[in-house]
Amino acid sequence: MTMQAMIDEWYPVGLASELDQTGRATALMGEPIEVVCDENGDAKVTGSNGRVLPVRVRYGHVWSSLGAPKKELFPIPEADQPGRRFVDVGVVRVRCSPLRAIENFLDIAHFPFVHTDILGAEPHTEVQNYKVEIREDVDEVWATQVKFYQPQAAKSASGGITTEYMYRVPAPTCSVLYKTCPPRPSEWDVITLFVQPLAEDLCDVWPWMALFDDTTSLTDLIHFQQTIFLQDRSILENQIPRLLPLDPGMEIPTRADLTSVAYRRWLKRHNYTYGAQLVAQ
Amino acid sequence: MRLSHGFVRGEALSCIYHGWSYAQAGNCLRIPAHPGLVPPETIRVATHVVEETDGVIWVAAGQPEGGPPRLDGLIPLRSLTAHADVAAIEAAAGVRASAEGVVDLAQSPGIIRLLLSAQTEGKTLIHVLIKGTADPTAGIAASRAAESLRRKAENLHTKGIAP
Amino acid sequence: MKLYDYILSPSCYKVRLMAALTGVTLDIRPVDFHPGAEHKGAELLALNPAGSIPIFVDGDLILTESSAILVYLAAKAAPEWLAVASAEEAARVQQWLSFSGRLTASLGGARLTEMLLRPGDIGALQAQGVLALRELEAGLVEQSLRGMRFLAANRLTVADIACFPYVALAPDGGVSLDPYPAIRLWSRALRGLDHFIEMPGIHRLHELKPEPHIEAGEA
Ligand SMILES: N[C@H](CCC(=O)N[C@@H](CS)C(=O)NCC(=O)O)C(=O)O
Ligand SMILES: [Fe+2]
Repeated sequence: MTMQAMIDEWYPVGLASELDQTGRATALMGEPIEVVCDENGDAKVTGSNGRVLPVRVRYGHVWSSLGAPKKELFPIPEADQPGRRFVDVGVVRVRCSPLRAIENFLDIAHFPFVHTDILGAEPHTEVQNYKVEIREDVDEVWATQVKFYQPQAAKSASGGITTEYMYRVPAPTCSVLYKTCPPRPSEWDVITLFVQPLAEDLCDVWPWMALFDDTTSLTDLIHFQQTIFLQDRSILENQIPRLLPLDPGMEIPTRADLTSVAYRRWLKRHNYTYGAQLVAQ
Repeated sequence: MRLSHGFVRGEALSCIYHGWSYAQAGNCLRIPAHPGLVPPETIRVATHVVEETDGVIWVAAGQPEGGPPRLDGLIPLRSLTAHADVAAIEAAAGVRASAEGVVDLAQSPGIIRLLLSAQTEGKTLIHVLIKGTADPTAGIAASRAAESLRRKAENLHTKGIAP
Repeated sequence: MKLYDYILSPSCYKVRLMAALTGVTLDIRPVDFHPGAEHKGAELLALNPAGSIPIFVDGDLILTESSAILVYLAAKAAPEWLAVASAEEAARVQQWLSFSGRLTASLGGARLTEMLLRPGDIGALQAQGVLALRELEAGLVEQSLRGMRFLAANRLTVADIACFPYVALAPDGGVSLDPYPAIRLWSRALRGLDHFIEMPGIHRLHELKPEPHIEAGEA
């Protein structure tokens, strides 16, 4: 593992709505940090030796970095789109590699078995071909035309539909998913997974959503997403090996796993290896 | 993903994560994401030789030369895990385990037999067997005796008294 | 019958599960427990000053202890779940209902600490959870020697429902269920019941349905 390449990235470290003067003691890649609201009402993040870390407040969360980010925090244009509801789902801690948390988020083949009768159900288990690319201009992993039959695709869905997805990995521990929006077929719902790496095998996961849904209560939206993520949590905590293998050979990919294959390749190319294992152990 | 979280349909064991199912020989039978695909021979899980005799399931480490030991006249009662090593359990029981890890409880020789199997992190798996009929009263007494022995062994283990 | 409910709360799940198994329909009022801490807000504190959920309201009756809610549902819809036919069974039901509070404190506490970042002495909570699981395991072994499949009787009672959720979700708090074969068998028996419902962290028993026969391209 090398921390160097990932140290200059942005990570979520708290909910903007929960910022207070008492502060929140947390950690980033093994280093204790503190997130507080300063006298001026701005978010302030300090590292273990008291050094002030870069900070952004965006997408409902406070973001920081142990290093010097070379790029601005990735854009989510939908975050500024009128009519969307923004949902802070809240933090969930998982004993897994932050990279495994993202990889699982990119996977649809597990839906019928792990999110049974919600995001998938037997016999509709087939994953049809979809497109995957690393977009060099923005340096992001993209999967498009991902289609899957879902019994209850969203809180706003009534009955089964074939849902279309697009997945985006704009940062090593963040993913944005665009999903068929049942009440507004011309738009995409946005569901994100922002992962705060605490250690190589421990992370705090902050899901966040930007949805078109005027009827479901905020609490119901939160509960729907927490239901899904808590179904994943027990899987994530039982994966072997705990670190994400970046070299081929340890885990056997099929066509359904092309997003994961691209994600691992992209991580390796950038030396994003905090939470990864390189040589098969 | 640990296959122990999976499910068994017919003679196949499936993984809870993506539903890949495996035959008894370890070969992959089905990948639900690709229903039309015949899984290649290279996709397989490790298998172990297993035998069930006298109500006990035995797993072999490697290729065993013979069958598992017979436990004639003994009835398996329960299995429990002790946060104590074999030495601490021997000390608590006041007897040494045989080479096969068999301990007969001193307070009632021949009635309660323990099979000890060392685990990781200094833990021991204890299988409790009793002689004769599974009379509820005798069974409950044996189960409680095993609990007491575990408490004693764990005390010795924590205090570092066991040899 | 209104239930102030949180989808990730094992205590609320006891009530949902009992209602599902006995065919009772609940009016569910979702509570933003996390991250919103709505249970500590004025509206819910007025109903339950203790600041916990579930809260159950039926007319004038307000119940804030899950065991009491289970007893109420059983008395109304399925009296046989109270197992009051013999003194011994009635007492065993009470024994495990009280015991279930220790599961909440230990395994439930470990789960809140591990999963939702609640402050807590995780090592102590897990150790207390292990002690409670051992007690439950021994209890189930003894019941099976008596020819009883469930905690208090040879049938399901409210005691089983009171103990099941925190036990089944012990791994969420970092406590493994691998060392408890009797608990796993009992848990399987419950999960295989008609009308059983899951909560996140308790997966579907896929073996209960036959393997589907599908053709490529049909999905
Ligand atoms: N009143 C008890 C306890 C229920 C309980 O502990 N509920 C948890 C949620 S699962 C709670 O509300 N905790 C309050 C808190 O943690 O703030 C019961 O009904 O069994
Ligand atoms: Fe999932």
